[in-house]
Amino acid sequence: MRGRLELGIVMRGARSIASRQFHEGALRVLRPHYLDDSGQVCYVVVNPGGAYLGADLFVLDVEVGDGADLLLTTQSATKVYRTPGSFAEQRMTVRLGEEARLELVPDQLIAYREASYRQRTCVTMRPSSCLVMAEVVTPGWSPDGANFRYEEVRLRNEIQVHSGGGEPELLALDNLLIRPPAGDVTGLGFMEGFSHLGSLIVVDSRVEQALADELHWLTGTCEALTGISLTQTVAGTTGLVLRALSNSTEELNSLLTGCANLLRERWYGQGPLNLRKH
Amino acid sequence: MLNTATKHQLALQQLVDSALPTGAFAHSLGFETYVDAGAIADEAGFLVWVSAFISQSLSYSDGLVVRLLYDGWDVGELDSLLSASLLPRQVREASVKMGGRLLDIGDEVFPSDELASYRRLVATGRADGHQPLAFAVVARSLRVPLEEALAAYLFAAVTSLTQNAVRAIPLGQNAGQRLLRQAADAVAAAVEQIRHLTPDDFGAVSPGLEISQMRHERQRARMFMS
Repeated sequence: MRGRLELGIVMRGARSIASRQFHEGALRVLRPHYLDDSGQVCYVVVNPGGAYLGADLFVLDVEVGDGADLLLTTQSATKVYRTPGSFAEQRMTVRLGEEARLELVPDQLIAYREASYRQRTCVTMRPSSCLVMAEVVTPGWSPDGANFRYEEVRLRNEIQVHSGGGEPELLALDNLLIRPPAGDVTGLGFMEGFSHLGSLIVVDSRVEQALADELHWLTGTCEALTGISLTQTVAGTTGLVLRALSNSTEELNSLLTGCANLLRERWYGQGPLNLRKH
Repeated sequence: MLNTATKHQLALQQLVDSALPTGAFAHSLGFETYVDAGAIADEAGFLVWVSAFISQSLSYSDGLVVRLLYDGWDVGELDSLLSASLLPRQVREASVKMGGRLLDIGDEVFPSDELASYRRLVATGRADGHQPLAFAVVARSLRVPLEEALAAYLFAAVTSLTQNAVRAIPLGQNAGQRLLRQAADAVAAAVEQIRHLTPDDFGAVSPGLEISQMRHERQRARMFMS
């Protein structure tokens, strides 16, 4: 294990605060910020080692209690270097309470030449909780400037809804696997000639077709190729999945942030995300 | 008296015949989006797409679910994995629509306890009833060996899609047959690959295929439901 981080957020008065915080190894969080007067707390995850290497395992455990509100981001891009014969791995477990919210907006993932990376995020939420998670995957980096020189990137998101006393029910399983050595990943039927992938998942009882239509309209003005669809509905809550292909991290960030901002304004009366002002 | 192998061959031929009324003629599973955008306009273009579809969707989703059922996984658990991992709405609906037809036909012609219990889960709202899983339950009840079942299922899916492409692009009938011949090699490779997949691989579908399946919802003029 290279790093472990545990964070428990609860509602205290009008503000969300950390009631529990633990870290060891190469993961920690910066001092919390309040970016507006909504009471939402913002934590920035830092990897002081700066990178993920072979056989590195990073474990994050995040719990957002009833009514609490967390914005979780990273200080910089996740960089995965060579992992010969092995892989770097991040496992994240998230539990959201009644009417709790998590906005998970990490920086982009960069996998270097000969890197393998697996990321697994398991979210268990209530029908009344709100989840917004964004992700940007770059084509990686290699000395010769060629794209997709890494071995493998796996990003797996599982979202379960827990209503009442029974077992949680699986709402969405989002599994991305890019393995460039196994065949061309750049063309039709894979990356469609684009280099960067963006993904946004929203799960909330207020998600409906009209929202998908609105986000489609919002993303229609940029050059990225986007698709939006709704997941199944479980216990009264529904997911919205947005996928986008583009040639730049900046365009994807602005597209995904634009969508997140619409939800912040509409559902929480908050201003746009501005992660770079602190 | 026919031997067991011949009996299951005949049963399999009926199950995967393109005349089996599951409604497969109504689904492009995303390729119509490419046709509409002009990205697939000929035989070569469709071959690129169908090869990607075989090595992605048909391997990591349909094919793996068939194998896991043969491995002894619970049908209800597999059903919920499919409902959760088929993220584009039209593809999820297509799987359930064709699955429902296959469950009904299976009940008429190849009834078994396993099929009855899957149908019961669907009837009571505890499962959705997906096409590859309905096929796998019937094939397994008929003791069709896994590799034969996989090859037959994948090739049947490709045959329907190719027939649809012949109508939609349009292509000549001979072009359709040439495509099927080439797709057969991709199907054989997929059957081999599916043996080596792990449960972690379940539902891994490329972003491009998914985006086209999602964008199909908003296509103005369309021949297909997905």
